[in-house]
Amino acid sequence: MKEVIAVVRMNKTSATKKALVEAGVAGFTAFKVEGRGKIVTNPTLIAERKKELLMMAGDDQTGESEKLITDFLVGTSLFPRRMFIILAHDEDVKKIVDAIIAANKTCNNVGDGKIFVLPVIDAVRVRTGESGETAV
Amino acid sequence: MLMVRAIIRPEKKEEVLSELSRAGFHAATVLDVVGRGKQKGIKISGVVYDEIPKALIMMAIRDEDKEDIVRIILKYARTGDQGAYGDGKIFIAPVDEAYTISSGIPSL
Repeated sequence: MKEVIAVVRMNKTSATKKALVEAGVAGFTAFKVEGRGKIVTNPTLIAERKKELLMMAGDDQTGESEKLITDFLVGTSLFPRRMFIILAHDEDVKKIVDAIIAANKTCNNVGDGKIFVLPVIDAVRVRTGESGETAV
Repeated sequence: MLMVRAIIRPEKKEEVLSELSRAGFHAATVLDVVGRGKQKGIKISGVVYDEIPKALIMMAIRDEDKEDIVRIILKYARTGDQGAYGDGKIFIAPVDEAYTISSGIPSL
Protein backbone atom coordinates (compact mmCIF):
# COMPACT_ATOMS: atom_id res chain seq x y z
CA MET A 1 0.00 0.00 0.00
CA LYS A 2 1.21 3.48 -0.80
CA GLU A 3 0.07 7.01 -0.09
CA VAL A 4 0.47 9.35 -3.05
CA ILE A 5 0.63 13.04 -2.04
CA ALA A 6 0.40 15.45 -4.97
CA VAL A 7 0.62 19.25 -4.73
CA VAL A 8 -0.84 20.84 -7.87
CA ARG A 9 -1.98 24.18 -9.24
CA MET A 10 -5.43 25.35 -8.08
CA ASN A 11 -6.75 25.60 -11.64
CA LYS A 12 -5.65 22.02 -12.38
CA THR A 13 -7.92 20.50 -9.74
CA SER A 14 -10.61 19.32 -12.13
CA ALA A 15 -8.07 18.12 -14.69
CA THR A 16 -6.39 16.09 -11.95
CA LYS A 17 -9.71 14.63 -10.79
CA LYS A 18 -10.54 13.61 -14.34
CA ALA A 19 -7.11 12.08 -14.87
CA LEU A 20 -7.49 10.06 -11.65
CA VAL A 21 -10.87 8.67 -12.73
CA GLU A 22 -9.35 7.73 -16.10
CA ALA A 23 -6.47 6.03 -14.32
CA GLY A 24 -9.00 3.91 -12.44
CA VAL A 25 -8.80 5.51 -8.99
CA ALA A 26 -11.82 7.54 -8.01
CA GLY A 27 -11.10 7.90 -4.30
CA PHE A 28 -9.01 10.77 -2.99
CA THR A 29 -8.88 13.50 -0.36
CA ALA A 30 -8.16 17.06 -1.49
CA PHE A 31 -7.65 20.29 0.37
CA LYS A 32 -6.28 23.77 -0.01
CA VAL A 33 -2.73 24.40 1.11
CA GLU A 34 -0.13 27.12 0.83
CA GLY A 35 3.42 26.48 -0.18
CA ARG A 36 6.63 27.44 -1.83
CA GLY A 37 9.12 25.49 -3.90
CA LYS A 38 12.78 25.52 -4.69
CA ILE A 39 14.16 29.02 -5.32
CA VAL A 40 14.35 29.64 -9.07
CA THR A 41 17.81 30.96 -9.87
CA ASN A 42 17.53 31.19 -13.65
CA PRO A 43 17.06 34.95 -14.38
CA THR A 44 15.68 34.52 -17.91
CA LEU A 45 12.98 32.16 -16.62
CA ILE A 46 11.99 34.70 -13.95
CA ALA A 47 11.92 37.57 -16.45
CA GLU A 48 9.73 35.56 -18.83
CA ARG A 49 7.21 34.61 -16.15
CA LYS A 50 7.15 38.17 -14.81
CA LYS A 51 6.27 39.53 -18.23
CA GLU A 52 3.48 37.00 -18.65
CA LEU A 53 2.04 37.61 -15.17
CA LEU A 54 2.19 41.39 -15.58
CA MET A 55 0.22 41.09 -18.81
CA MET A 56 -2.42 39.07 -16.94
CA ALA A 57 -2.59 41.65 -14.14
CA GLY A 58 -3.81 44.32 -16.53
CA ASP A 59 -3.44 48.04 -15.80
CA ASP A 60 -2.43 48.82 -12.33
CA GLN A 61 -1.20 52.33 -11.60
CA THR A 62 -0.24 51.67 -7.98
CA GLY A 63 2.53 49.17 -8.77
CA GLU A 64 1.05 46.83 -6.19
CA SER A 65 0.61 43.89 -8.53
CA GLU A 66 4.17 44.27 -9.74
CA LYS A 67 5.40 44.02 -6.14
CA LEU A 68 3.19 40.97 -5.53
CA ILE A 69 4.46 39.26 -8.68
CA THR A 70 8.09 40.00 -7.79
CA ASP A 71 7.63 38.61 -4.26
CA PHE A 72 5.96 35.57 -5.71
CA LEU A 73 8.73 34.91 -8.23
CA VAL A 74 11.66 35.39 -5.86
CA GLY A 75 10.00 32.99 -3.46
CA THR A 76 9.45 35.21 -0.43
CA SER A 77 5.70 34.62 -0.27
CA LEU A 78 3.62 31.48 0.00
CA PHE A 79 1.16 30.76 -2.78
CA PRO A 80 -2.02 28.66 -2.88
CA ARG A 81 -2.00 25.09 -4.12
CA ARG A 82 -4.29 22.07 -3.97
CA MET A 83 -3.09 18.94 -2.20
CA PHE A 84 -4.39 15.50 -3.20
CA ILE A 85 -3.92 12.43 -1.03
CA ILE A 86 -4.58 9.13 -2.77
CA LEU A 87 -4.31 5.69 -1.19
CA ALA A 88 -3.21 3.09 -3.73
CA HIS A 89 -2.04 -0.48 -4.22
CA ASP A 90 1.68 -0.77 -4.96
CA GLU A 91 1.14 -1.78 -8.58
CA ASP A 92 -1.13 1.21 -9.34
CA VAL A 93 1.32 3.87 -8.11
CA LYS A 94 3.14 4.28 -11.42
CA LYS A 95 -0.14 4.65 -13.32
CA ILE A 96 -1.38 7.32 -10.89
CA VAL A 97 1.89 9.27 -10.92
CA ASP A 98 2.00 9.25 -14.73
CA ALA A 99 -1.64 10.39 -14.92
CA ILE A 100 -1.05 13.29 -12.51
CA ILE A 101 2.10 14.37 -14.35
CA ALA A 102 0.32 14.27 -17.72
CA ALA A 103 -2.63 16.28 -16.41
CA ASN A 104 -0.58 18.94 -14.62
CA LYS A 105 2.33 19.62 -16.90
CA THR A 106 2.35 23.17 -18.30
CA CYS A 107 4.90 24.95 -20.49
CA ASN A 108 5.96 27.29 -17.66
CA ASN A 109 8.86 25.02 -16.64
CA VAL A 110 8.33 25.90 -12.96
CA GLY A 111 5.58 25.74 -10.37
CA ASP A 112 3.72 22.67 -11.61
CA GLY A 113 3.99 20.93 -8.25
CA LYS A 114 5.39 17.79 -6.69
CA ILE A 115 4.31 14.22 -6.12
CA PHE A 116 5.47 12.21 -3.11
CA VAL A 117 4.97 8.48 -2.59
CA LEU A 118 4.97 7.29 1.02
CA PRO A 119 4.61 3.76 2.35
CA VAL A 120 1.46 2.89 4.32
CA ILE A 121 1.56 0.09 6.88
CA ASP A 122 -2.15 -0.54 7.28
CA ALA A 123 -5.57 0.76 6.26
CA VAL A 124 -8.98 0.04 7.75
CA ARG A 125 -12.35 0.50 6.09
CA VAL A 126 -14.68 1.98 8.68
CA ARG A 127 -17.89 0.56 7.18
CA THR A 128 -16.85 -3.11 7.32
CA GLY A 129 -13.85 -3.07 9.64
CA GLU A 130 -11.74 -4.98 7.10
CA SER A 131 -8.07 -4.08 7.03
CA GLY A 132 -5.01 -4.43 4.80
CA GLU A 133 -4.99 -4.46 0.99
CA THR A 134 -8.74 -5.08 0.70
CA ALA A 135 -9.49 -1.84 2.54
CA VAL A 136 -7.76 0.34 -0.06
CA MET B 1 13.99 10.86 1.40
CA LEU B 2 11.86 11.79 4.37
CA MET B 3 8.62 13.69 4.94
CA VAL B 4 8.75 16.06 7.89
CA ARG B 5 5.41 17.15 9.33
CA ALA B 6 5.73 19.81 11.98
CA ILE B 7 2.72 21.04 13.92
CA ILE B 8 3.59 24.43 15.41
CA ARG B 9 1.96 27.53 16.83
CA PRO B 10 0.46 29.60 13.98
CA GLU B 11 2.19 32.75 15.20
CA LYS B 12 5.57 31.00 14.87
CA LYS B 13 4.95 29.93 11.28
CA GLU B 14 6.53 32.94 9.55
CA GLU B 15 9.65 32.84 11.71
CA VAL B 16 10.21 29.11 11.29
CA LEU B 17 9.68 29.32 7.51
CA SER B 18 12.06 32.23 7.07
CA GLU B 19 14.75 30.57 9.21
CA LEU B 20 14.38 27.34 7.22
CA SER B 21 14.70 29.32 4.01
CA ARG B 22 17.79 31.09 5.31
CA ALA B 23 19.38 27.71 6.01
CA GLY B 24 18.68 26.62 2.44
CA PHE B 25 15.50 24.61 2.97
CA HIS B 26 13.07 26.71 1.01
CA ALA B 27 10.45 24.29 -0.28
CA ALA B 28 7.52 23.70 2.06
CA THR B 29 3.77 23.22 2.12
CA VAL B 30 1.78 24.89 4.88
CA LEU B 31 -1.77 24.29 6.04
CA ASP B 32 -3.93 25.49 8.87
CA VAL B 33 -5.14 22.71 11.12
CA VAL B 34 -6.94 22.32 14.44
CA GLY B 35 -6.13 19.74 17.03
CA ARG B 36 -5.41 18.84 20.61
CA GLY B 37 -2.47 17.23 22.33
CA LYS B 38 -1.60 15.22 25.38
CA GLN B 39 -2.94 17.94 27.68
CA LYS B 40 -6.45 17.37 26.24
CA GLY B 41 -6.85 20.95 25.09
CA ILE B 42 -6.99 24.06 27.22
CA LYS B 43 -9.41 24.62 30.09
CA ILE B 44 -10.35 28.25 30.55
CA SER B 45 -12.82 29.02 33.35
CA GLY B 46 -14.53 25.68 33.10
CA VAL B 47 -14.76 25.57 29.32
CA VAL B 48 -12.54 23.04 27.55
CA TYR B 49 -11.16 24.06 24.19
CA ASP B 50 -9.96 20.97 22.37
CA GLU B 51 -9.77 22.31 18.83
CA ILE B 52 -6.73 24.53 19.09
CA PRO B 53 -5.57 26.14 15.84
CA LYS B 54 -2.06 25.18 14.71
CA ALA B 55 0.00 25.42 11.54
CA LEU B 56 1.19 22.23 9.85
CA ILE B 57 4.39 22.50 7.81
CA MET B 58 5.11 19.63 5.42
CA MET B 59 8.55 19.26 3.86
CA ALA B 60 10.06 16.50 1.75
CA ILE B 61 13.77 16.41 2.54
CA ARG B 62 16.94 14.44 1.94
CA ASP B 63 17.89 12.04 4.75
CA GLU B 64 21.07 13.94 5.58
CA ASP B 65 19.21 17.25 6.14
CA LYS B 66 16.95 15.79 8.82
CA GLU B 67 18.98 16.88 11.82
CA ASP B 68 19.46 20.46 10.62
CA ILE B 69 15.77 20.89 9.86
CA VAL B 70 14.61 19.39 13.14
CA ARG B 71 17.09 21.58 15.03
CA ILE B 72 15.86 24.75 13.29
CA ILE B 73 12.20 23.94 13.90
CA LEU B 74 12.86 23.09 17.56
CA LYS B 75 14.81 26.30 18.07
CA TYR B 76 12.38 28.72 16.46
CA ALA B 77 9.02 27.10 17.24
CA ARG B 78 9.71 26.98 20.97
CA THR B 79 8.29 29.65 23.24
CA GLY B 80 10.17 30.74 26.35
CA ASP B 81 13.53 29.32 27.43
CA GLN B 82 12.31 25.87 28.35
CA GLY B 83 9.54 25.59 25.79
CA ALA B 84 5.91 25.36 26.82
CA TYR B 85 2.94 23.05 26.43
CA GLY B 86 1.40 23.66 23.05
CA ASP B 87 4.59 24.37 21.12
CA GLY B 88 3.86 21.42 18.87
CA LYS B 89 5.25 18.17 17.53
CA ILE B 90 7.43 16.99 14.66
CA PHE B 91 6.71 13.73 12.84
CA ILE B 92 9.05 12.16 10.30
CA ALA B 93 7.96 9.51 7.80
CA PRO B 94 9.79 7.77 4.97
CA VAL B 95 9.15 8.79 1.35
CA ASP B 96 9.67 6.16 -1.37
CA GLU B 97 9.54 8.37 -4.43
CA ALA B 98 9.22 12.07 -5.31
CA TYR B 99 8.48 13.59 -8.71
CA THR B 100 8.73 17.14 -10.02
CA ILE B 101 5.73 17.61 -12.31
CA SER B 102 7.16 20.32 -14.56
CA SER B 103 10.10 18.15 -15.60
CA GLY B 104 8.69 14.70 -14.82
CA ILE B 105 12.04 13.84 -13.21
CA PRO B 106 11.83 11.46 -10.25
CA SER B 107 13.78 13.58 -7.75
CA LEU B 108 13.21 16.24 -5.12
